[in-house]
Formats: sequence, C-alpha cells, structure tokens
Amino acid sequence: MLVFDELKKNEPHLRLVAVGLVAGLCILLAGLWWVQVVSSREYQEHLTTQAYRTIRLPAVRGKILDREGRVLAENQPRYNLSLYLDDLHQPFDAAYGEFLKSARSAQKQNIDRAEKKLDRSLTKAERKRFAFTPEQLQALREAARVRVADAVVAQVSQKIGQPLTLDPVAFNRHYAARLALPFPVLKNLDAAQIARFEENFSGTLGADLELQSVRSYPLGDTAAHLLGYLQRHDDSQEGEDAVFNYRIPDFSGAVGVECGFDDQLRGRAGAESLLVNSQGYRQSETVESQPEPGQNVVLTIDLDLQRAAEESIASHHVPGALAADARAAVVVMDVHNGDVLAMASSPTINPLFFNGGLPPDEMQREAARRADVKLRPEINRATQENYAPGSIFKVVVGLAALEAGLNPEKFYTVQADPTRPGKGCVYIGRRKIDDTAPPGEYNFKRAVERSSNSYFIQIGSDAGADRIVALAEKFHLGENFDLPTRQETSGNMPSEDRIREGWSAGDTANLCIGQGEVSVTPLQMAVVYSAIANGGTVFWPRLVSRIEPQDPMSHDVATNLPSALVCDHIGVSGRSLRILHNAMLAETEDVEGTGKAAVVPGLRICGKTGTAQVEDEHNRVVDHTTWFASFAPYENPKYAVVVMVESGISGGDSCAPIAHDIYETILEKEKSGAGKILAAAY
Amino acid sequence: MFSTGTTPRESFDRLQIAALVGLMFIGTAFVFSATMVNDFAAALPWYDQTWVRQIVWYALGFGVAAAMCVLDYHTLARWSFVAYWLMIICLVAVLIPHIGSMRFGARRWIDLGFFQFQPSEFAKLAFILAGANFLSRPPDELKQPVIFWKGIGLMLLPFGLILKEPDLGSALVLLPTGLVMMLVAGTPRRYLLKLIGIVGLLAALFVVDLKFLPARWQVPMQDYQRNRLLIYFGRDYTDFAPPHATPAELQRMKQRQADDGYNIRQALISVGSGGLLGKGWRQGTQNALGYLPRAVAHNDFIFSVIAEEEGFVGGVIVLALYAVVLFTGLRIAGQARDRLGKLVAVGVVTLIFSHVFINIGMNIRIMPVTGVPLPLLSYGGSSVLCSLFAVGLLQNIHIHRRGY
Repeated sequence: MLVFDELKKNEPHLRLVAVGLVAGLCILLAGLWWVQVVSSREYQEHLTTQAYRTIRLPAVRGKILDREGRVLAENQPRYNLSLYLDDLHQPFDAAYGEFLKSARSAQKQNIDRAEKKLDRSLTKAERKRFAFTPEQLQALREAARVRVADAVVAQVSQKIGQPLTLDPVAFNRHYAARLALPFPVLKNLDAAQIARFEENFSGTLGADLELQSVRSYPLGDTAAHLLGYLQRHDDSQEGEDAVFNYRIPDFSGAVGVECGFDDQLRGRAGAESLLVNSQGYRQSETVESQPEPGQNVVLTIDLDLQRAAEESIASHHVPGALAADARAAVVVMDVHNGDVLAMASSPTINPLFFNGGLPPDEMQREAARRADVKLRPEINRATQENYAPGSIFKVVVGLAALEAGLNPEKFYTVQADPTRPGKGCVYIGRRKIDDTAPPGEYNFKRAVERSSNSYFIQIGSDAGADRIVALAEKFHLGENFDLPTRQETSGNMPSEDRIREGWSAGDTANLCIGQGEVSVTPLQMAVVYSAIANGGTVFWPRLVSRIEPQDPMSHDVATNLPSALVCDHIGVSGRSLRILHNAMLAETEDVEGTGKAAVVPGLRICGKTGTAQVEDEHNRVVDHTTWFASFAPYENPKYAVVVMVESGISGGDSCAPIAHDIYETILEKEKSGAGKILAAAY
Repeated sequence: MFSTGTTPRESFDRLQIAALVGLMFIGTAFVFSATMVNDFAAALPWYDQTWVRQIVWYALGFGVAAAMCVLDYHTLARWSFVAYWLMIICLVAVLIPHIGSMRFGARRWIDLGFFQFQPSEFAKLAFILAGANFLSRPPDELKQPVIFWKGIGLMLLPFGLILKEPDLGSALVLLPTGLVMMLVAGTPRRYLLKLIGIVGLLAALFVVDLKFLPARWQVPMQDYQRNRLLIYFGRDYTDFAPPHATPAELQRMKQRQADDGYNIRQALISVGSGGLLGKGWRQGTQNALGYLPRAVAHNDFIFSVIAEEEGFVGGVIVLALYAVVLFTGLRIAGQARDRLGKLVAVGVVTLIFSHVFINIGMNIRIMPVTGVPLPLLSYGGSSVLCSLFAVGLLQNIHIHRRGY
C-alpha cells in the first residue's frame, strides 16, 4: 500500500493515525456485516411484520343439487357499502390540521385570558398546564376522522335515498384494529340502491361497494333437515396457513349435508397480502393465492317427491291439542340400490334462522318454536329419533316364522276380548294384550291384512325370539348407518345375549308386535322394506350421488359416490317373500285391509300399517306413533315409501293418505318422463 | 526566492478528486431516492426539489474550494485566528433566542432566508486552521505545560459553545480532531496520555452511572440527551420515573421510549433488510412507506437509505470511497512541505473520519444517536460546503507541497 510505505519511513505519528483509521473502518465494516449479512433475515422479518398484513379470502361455497340438478342450496351475492379508509387519509390529515388550528387558537385565548387575569406573562411551568396532552391530541384526531367519515356517509345517504348513520365508536374501533380493511356502512343493498350509488359515486370519495357471498336456500325450508345450516367459522382448515392478520367471515356447516360434506363444499381459502405504510394505511395488495371454489354436492333426492311428501304431511295434518305443526317423517327409497329419493321431516326450522337472514319478528317466532319441547323442530325425525315400530315390525316376525316352517294357510283362532266387544286379545301368562282385529280365524294373509297382534304373537313365540332377533340383525336394525349428515340414532334391538337371560314370554310378545325394547328410525324401516321388496338384499342408504366441480369448464373430474353398496343379505327364501308380498298386497287392496287409503289407481302397492303405543314411566299409554310402510309396484318393486306420523290416529288413517299422495306423484312422473326418476329397472 | 510570494503549483490529487466525485454522485442519487417518494414532492418545481438543491451546493462548494486552491494555504492560515474568533462570535450569536432559530428543540442555525447558516460546521474548519497554526510552532515550545493547556482551551471553547446549542455530536468530533492534531504536532506523550486517561476515566464513570445506577445518582443532563443514551444502552425509561408515578404515567413513558427508539429501530430494519445486494435504487420500502421518518431520511439517516437500497455491497463501496479520500489525505499530510500543512491535513482527515464513524455507527447502533451529518452524502448546505472546503484544503496542501 503506497500510503503505508511512505509513512513507514519517517512519520510514526501519521502511521499511528493511519492505523487508527483502518481500525475504525474495520469496525464499521464488521458492524455492517453483522447487521446486513448475518442478521439480515431477522430484520427482513421485522420489516414484513410491520409492513405486511395477510388476509384470508374464503372461497365460494359449492351448491347442493337434487338428482336432476335442481338447486337446493346456493350462494347469492350481497353488496355492502363500505368506506375505504386508505383513500381518505389525506382528508383525515387535513381535518386534523383544521381541528388543531382551532384548538390552538382556543388555547391561545385561554392563555391570554389567564395572563390578563394575573396581569402578567405566564411562566413556562404555567404555560405547560395549557399544553395539549397526548390524549387530547388523540381525541382530536379521532374527532377529525369521524367528521370526515360522517361527511362521506351523509353524502352517500342523500344520493341513494336511505338514511345512514356512522357509529363513531365502531368506526374508531375499526380504525384502531382493522385499518387496512374496508369499514361497512350499509349492508345488503338492493338493486335500486346499487344503481343509484353507481350512478353518482363510482370511483370517488373513499366509499365503494363490497361484494360478499351469502348462502341462500331458494326453496325455503324444503329438505331443511337434510341440507342443514351454516355457522360462522373463520378458522383455518388443514393445509392452510394458521396465522392471518384478518379473516373475512367464513362459514361451515353445522349439521346435515352442509356439515357432512363441508370439506368439499367449502373449497380452499385464498390469501391476500396488503402492504401498509407507517400509519397503517393500505398501499397496495397482492393476491398470494386465489381461493379455490368449493364443489357442488348432488343428492339422490328427487325434488318433486320431496316436495310432494312435505306438502302432503302439511295438508293432512289436523291441528291437535299437542302441537300446532305436524310431527312426521317420510322416507322414499329406491329398492334396488338404496338411494334415498325423498326424506322429509316435519316440523322444520327455516335454515336462514341460523345466519340471521330473517326479519326480526320471524326470528323470534322461530326461536320460540325451537325451544318448544314437544315440537323439537331441529330433530330430523327420519333418522334421528327412535320410535316403536309397532305393527310394521310384524313383517320381520312373519318372515322369521315362515323360515322356521310356519304354514301360512294354517288358521289360528283369536279369542274375543271380554272387556272390549268386537276386538280380540291374547293372554301371555296373566297379561292380556289387546288386539285391534276382531276375534276369529286368521291365516297369514288375513293376519297381515287386519294386523292381528294375537296371530303374530303366537307365531313369533313358536318361532322363538332368537330367530326373530337373528333376522332383525341381518336387516341391521339397532345399528347406525354412519350417515354423513351426523343426524342419526341407531334405534334399539335386543341382542342375542339379551334374549338369553332375563327375557320373558311377555318380552317376546312385545317384540312380536313391535313394542317394548324395539325401536327404529323411519330410514331403517325403509331399508327393511326395500330389502323385502327387492328379494332380500339390504343396501346401505345413499344420500349423495356425486360431487362435481362448480365450474363446468373446469378440468376437475366429478366423483361418483359408490351406489348400490350391499350391506347384507337376509337369506330368506323366495317363497317366503312371495307369501309376504301377497299378504301385503291384500292389506291395501282387500276390503278388510287397513292400508286401503294408500291405493292409487294404476299402481299396485304392498303395504303394512302400524300403530305403536307410546307409554310414560308408569306404563300408561299417552300417545301413538302411526306408520305406513310400503313398496310398489307389486309386479316389479321399485320404490319403498315409509310414512311415520307422531300422535296419529292409526296408520291407515294418518299415514296411508300421505303415502297415497307420494305414489300419485311417482306415477305421474313415470308416465310423463318415461321412467325419468329411476334408472334401475331390474 | 521569488518576490510574489507564490509557490509553484503541482497538479491536483486526481484519485481524491475522483473519489469525491463518486461520493457526490451517490449523494445526489440517494437524496433523490429519499425525498422523491410521494406525489407532493414530485409536484414541486424543479428548483425547489431537494436533490437539485444538493447539486447546487455541490457546485458552489466545489467552485469555491477550487478557487481557494489558487492561494497558498499559508495565506489562508494567516487569517485563521480571525476566522476562529469570528466563528466564536457566531456560535455565541446562535445561542441568543432571536438570532438563532429553534428547530427540533435545538438552536443551531441562523436563518438567512435562502440559506440556513450552521456556525458549528464552519467553526470546525476554523478550529482546524487556527489549531494547526497554533501547533505549528517549534516542537520544543509544545513541551511547556502552558502551551499545552492553551491548546486544550482552544479546543474547549468551541466545544463548550456547540455543546450548549445543544449539539453533542458536532461537539464530540472536535475532541479527536484536536487530540490527533496535538499528537502529530509532537506534544509530549505523557501529557496526552494523562489527558486521555482522565477523560477516559470520566467517560467510564459516566457510562457506569448511566447504565447501572438508579435515578438518584444520575448525572444531571437534558432530558432528551439522557433519553438517547438510555435508548443506546438499552435501559428502560421507567427506571427513571419519579417515585410516585401512576401506571398511566409509566405507560406514557414506555410509549415515549418506543417513540424515541423508533428512529434507530427503523434505521436498523432499513439497514438489515437490505441484505447483501439491497433492494434496488428507489425500491426501498422503509423509506417509501414512511417507516423511516421523512424528516431524517435525507440527512442523518441517509446511510440507512443507501444500505437498504444497495445492501452490504453499497455500504462497502461508500466506505471504500471515504477510505480513498482519507488515505489520500494522509498521504498529502505525509508529503506536506511543512508542519502547518501536515497538521491541517491531519486535522481534516480526522474530522471527516469522525463524522463518518459517528454517523454510520449511529445507523447501525454502535453509537448513540447524535445529529452528525455524513460528509457529502447528507443533505444540508452547511455540511456540504464545509466538507468540500475541507477537501479543498487538502488539495491546496497537495498542490503547494513543493516550496521550491
């Protein structure tokens, strides 16, 4: 180094100075190295933390469709009017400047007045008392902002013709916590307001329309239980970032298909990052990842059948003392593959109750209904409540007896009931069980027609409770179907162990007439009757047919959910089934049959009515659960229809008419659409 | 030998001039980047824009310094004491309320309308000239204690006046400058060592007092100065709260601590996030988004802007350019023809180095925050003019290094 060579010769002091310079520069160099190279990442993180905000963008929710693609649940756009505060920060500063100026002149006046009173100039300490505290300045700033925001809101409100107010507390809170996000002033503008706003204000002023997507159920409360409802749920799902600065409101299903298929419906949230400046105002935004829209869920439900079922329940309901609305359930099933074509449950709650989409008086009414202990509108009575099956269980008893060697032509005598003229009875030990059928001779067919308790108790006891229970197990009664809707109970069926010990003849008798420890759900009975109809195959019930992408142009492929999944085979001979089919046909077609009301001209229906007693703790009868379980057409069964009405009069009176309406609709659809409902005809 | 009294002139030290031009170019570019960040700035007429003004100061300073090089530095030195006492008068004047204008709590400038005249900058140059003149007497004279203390007094007078403004940073740079000049002049070691020893002891006691001792034992000083040192040493303001402070007041002190430490925190984030290569000219987000306060980004913290935008590489280039200026200055000192020249050169070199070290050190937190500009890169008329005059003096000594 030239300099050093020269200095070495004769300038020790300069050499010392040179060494000092080098040392100093090296210290600076080392410091720079430490900060810029070694610690660079840490400072970059500080920069990101103070300058970037992330926002979670929820995706558009998938629709729920019926089997023909008709919409049951979809999304509607909702327009909110919001203030975009980053556009307003210059007016904010200007207003603050004005406020400060006037505050300062007021302060000066105060000082002058004080000086005049004391007749001298104030000392520094005394002047300090008049100085502005940080809280006062902060209050001035807030007041300035509220003034500017108020002015904008007033302008907008005048032009769109709707009185609007700005809540200063909410506004200041939003400013402090969520400055980079827009502040909503008016939610859910209608078309006229949107038009007026766009005419007068596009592109100016810091106020703009913000688009949100809101779930809507265009058919009201049709299939409400099956669809379910949404709840507010902003959390990140699996596979998303866990940490966001702001989350735009998102929803997830609480029950029903909305819940069971929430992952597919919800899609995948996107992320946006905002660059904010040192005061927190938004400078620019980048969409880091686009949200992926959710997929559509196609149900197996046929909308026409569903509506027919619901309307029929409502129209046949006689308002009684117990509750204003009908409490009933209907399940319509395709016997060849287990597809649920209709699943109605009454009463229902309007799904919009859960996300505040109803006007206030309706909300109150729904809330009162929801709290009603008897009504319990949230329960899906088709799958979520256990009912005593009553006489509709007799088909299982009958099949078990036939398999055990019962001769269907053998007549049993049913004795008369001494206390009830014209009705039969049977004695188990000392206990008398009433029979709704009159005394006389009954073979299998007549017993089914008239639903004779005595006959079935007789044949059931002969066959043995173990056989009945074994067959019931093959039908998978007492077990869950693991429905995706999370609205399920398993019913109750005594197990083989239960029968072995502590089981009396009386219990068997109860079993034979579908009372006592037996309880089922309407869906389970639909599966049972479908199995009986199709020759003995128990299918898993299917609610969802396929999942497909929302955008028909997308490259994603639809997923078909497996259908016709076999759960079990009941292993009953064709002869037994035929005997049963004939007996059930007689129930609807014969004069004596209890199910006459279901008959539809042009369709041969096999059915079984049932009336189960509901007892309280003291074994007193307080209510009846009425049933009508059926399948049609007799020649080549395709549909199974199970109707259950709580607190009905009898199966034939309360339930069969509803089934009638449903079969009528089925017949119409088949005639008009040439078999459009079902593809399977085997 | 010649009657006119002029001496033959050599050519300029080209390397130093080149480094100077490099620094001026960087200064213009980054003052531009630091100030042209919003529409408001861009809307100003071109003659009002900051970087244009910086160019004007560069041109002016360069011109005057070049003109000064015509004269031998001895001629200038003859006027050194006049200049010195003139500057002392200006320093006293600036402290008088209606002459000196108060800004950011300090009285450092005299407002001359188009130009904010900062006497402390010029006082440093006057001190170097006067001090060199004083110390260029025969070395034997320097051995006398009286002369030694006179020299110290020469240094302490402007030091005290500048400290009173208050401007701790500018005052501080006088000390190493004076001491190095005395060392090179040949003041006996033992005087200097004793002096350094005493000062070092006082400084160490001061630091210990500040860092570790409770409030009652603290040396009295101005609030904001204490706050700066507290930030630097990482102590909480709340340690110095009056005994019956309410929680609200403590909260306010914490808030003020956050606010006071804000500059240095943002400067560190700027410097650190620049990384190795920086973000690119005018791409620095800290400055554009206002995190680095606009008031200081173009002068005291200009190095943060450079560091963020050009990274470690940029910082090294800046240091290298300064190193060239300083070491060529030392070479000039070595080749000076007499003690006066050598002392002036050494004084200028130390002055520039002190500014660089304190300012860059402040940006990376190895020095507490003091208002010392970065020579030639910070925006500011007085600072630019004095830096160019100082380097002009070096060139002057270089040109007139042969007396024959």
